[in-house]
Amino acid sequence: MPDDRYFELEMETMPRDRLAALQQERILELVPYVYERSALVRKKWEEARVKPGDINSLADFTERVPFITKDDIRQFRDQGHDPFGGLLCTGYADTTTVFSTSGTTGDATLYAHAWDRWHPFWAATARDLWELGVRPGDYVLGSGFKMRGPLYHADQMVGAIPVLVNTGIGGWATALDAIRRYRPVYAQLTGLALAELDHLSRTNDMKELFSSFKGVAFAGEPLGARARSQLESWGVEVYLWTSTGDVTGAWECGQHDGCHAWEDCVLLEAVDPAAGTPVAEGELGELVATSLDNLVSPMVRFRSDDIIRMTRQPCGCGRTHARFWPVGRKGDETIVAGRSFVPMDIWRALEQVPETAAALFQLVRPTREIDELKVRVGYDPETTASVPDLRDRVAEAITAAVGVPPVLELLPEPELLARGRGGKLPRVVKS
Amino acid sequence: MLPPSGTWAIGRYDVTGQHVYFEISWDDWQHDVAWARDMLASHGVGPRSGLVIVGGMPESPWFDPFETAARELGAPYSIGETYAFEAFRTGVYARRLPVTMIFGIDRTVAEGLADELAAVVARVPVIVARPDAAGLLAEAGAQPFIVARVGPAVAVECPQRSGAHLNGAQWTLAERGGELFLSTAGPRAHQVRDAALGLRGTLTDGPCGCGRTGQRVTINE
Repeated sequence: MPDDRYFELEMETMPRDRLAALQQERILELVPYVYERSALVRKKWEEARVKPGDINSLADFTERVPFITKDDIRQFRDQGHDPFGGLLCTGYADTTTVFSTSGTTGDATLYAHAWDRWHPFWAATARDLWELGVRPGDYVLGSGFKMRGPLYHADQMVGAIPVLVNTGIGGWATALDAIRRYRPVYAQLTGLALAELDHLSRTNDMKELFSSFKGVAFAGEPLGARARSQLESWGVEVYLWTSTGDVTGAWECGQHDGCHAWEDCVLLEAVDPAAGTPVAEGELGELVATSLDNLVSPMVRFRSDDIIRMTRQPCGCGRTHARFWPVGRKGDETIVAGRSFVPMDIWRALEQVPETAAALFQLVRPTREIDELKVRVGYDPETTASVPDLRDRVAEAITAAVGVPPVLELLPEPELLARGRGGKLPRVVKS
Repeated sequence: MLPPSGTWAIGRYDVTGQHVYFEISWDDWQHDVAWARDMLASHGVGPRSGLVIVGGMPESPWFDPFETAARELGAPYSIGETYAFEAFRTGVYARRLPVTMIFGIDRTVAEGLADELAAVVARVPVIVARPDAAGLLAEAGAQPFIVARVGPAVAVECPQRSGAHLNGAQWTLAERGGELFLSTAGPRAHQVRDAALGLRGTLTDGPCGCGRTGQRVTINE
């Protein structure tokens, strides 16, 4: 049974040596299973001349097993006419659900699970909601999107009652009515939701509205400094969470000192993006994930393209599982006229201009090195008196941040939001 | 997990711009799942099927029972969202997977599929559509069955195409002057008597060719 702090005390605080032993046990079960059943794994391992018999420990696994990239999956899918990109270890008929990635960086990738009562992607999230303070009988606001399945399973696992109203795009004006009525303790937010709440804050007492909340979870993209400050001014404690290579979620605890990866569900590595070798604790590395609880379409040393810093030091909350801090996406670094920058540089610049403070933008970048800095920026039509004047101020802010004057395409926020997918606005696009 | 609270979730529907909240108990949900299982089975859904269920998160009070029913019938399913910019996802599933039924497609998603709609319709044998999408789908070559949200209830056409069945153990409808009014029939957490729904439709009573008895409704868009 859960106690006051932990939903699953033994698992959440398991000593590192026992956790490593559990991971090794699961990996050694996974290795022959996936080699027999996953066409992509077998192809990659045969190319690397690795056989299941070569893998007798966790160390063997991380030293010898080849990586799988999103391009590997897409290429196998397109060449082999296999919708699962060679990852499916069962027949389609043996799956329960097939969901897909957001598709913000290309065609959505499919992933499948087999399950009985609770969807596995969200099962461990019950631990995170418990840590956030959600308790039996509490009302919680349903999340905005269902493309990854029923997130309310996690709500229901902790005994909470999801209030299923529209908290997706365009829904927050009416979601406030549900907040007034049910006084929920928790909600999921995305950057697009924050843009709506920003507008609603002009006509609503957000501090009063959010006074029942124990916390909100934020995911999908970085949380800008202005947005964080605004949420804090409403008295809202923000818990960041992110995906671990599409295997499961990783949430901050009350210490707000990194996102906890549940290592009974996922084997997490941080590797040098170029060399593929392990990086030292706390150093920048690419997140590599292996599923430990999905025998239907497990990821095996999947390179996520997410750049993180990671530690396996115990957290102040008492949990022993690895924590990581998302830093950005591999390949987001852009070079224009010999100068290097990342999308967050533009983000911070736009936050300084009131009409673009929601920082809704897209960097239009056909290649990583570009001659012209083209940025598509959303502006608030309600507060914009002069678009030409705004253009000058936005250009000035971006030039100061990046060192190169931009070519701007200014769009009213609703028009730009319409280009979003899965609750996210792709920040780097080719056209 | 902890023992569930007595309430599965809170849902909401709108009647002429007013929000109406309704509670779904775990018992209600189990009744809804059993009924959904029966309706899907009558369309042949089983272990050799594959579904795309089109319904957003706030529509889960109506559509989760069909998701759960698909799982219980052994049919894999995927979820399509009801945003125009998410229509591509319904298309991806229909294109890449052996989908035998799209359940719940609405006009937004049908329009969002644009040029791909005809190919989706040609590929998927059974389409159960919202009333607002039926015309568009028919133009694209489909012969859709109907699923409709009716206030807090849901109605689904069986293969006889003689109006959408309502779960008579849980709800009853009345029609006056073309307007629909709903009452609770079962011991549900949400009790209403002759509640206006802001919907226009016609009712059929009596036995259906499928063998079910009870009310069937046709929503007039």
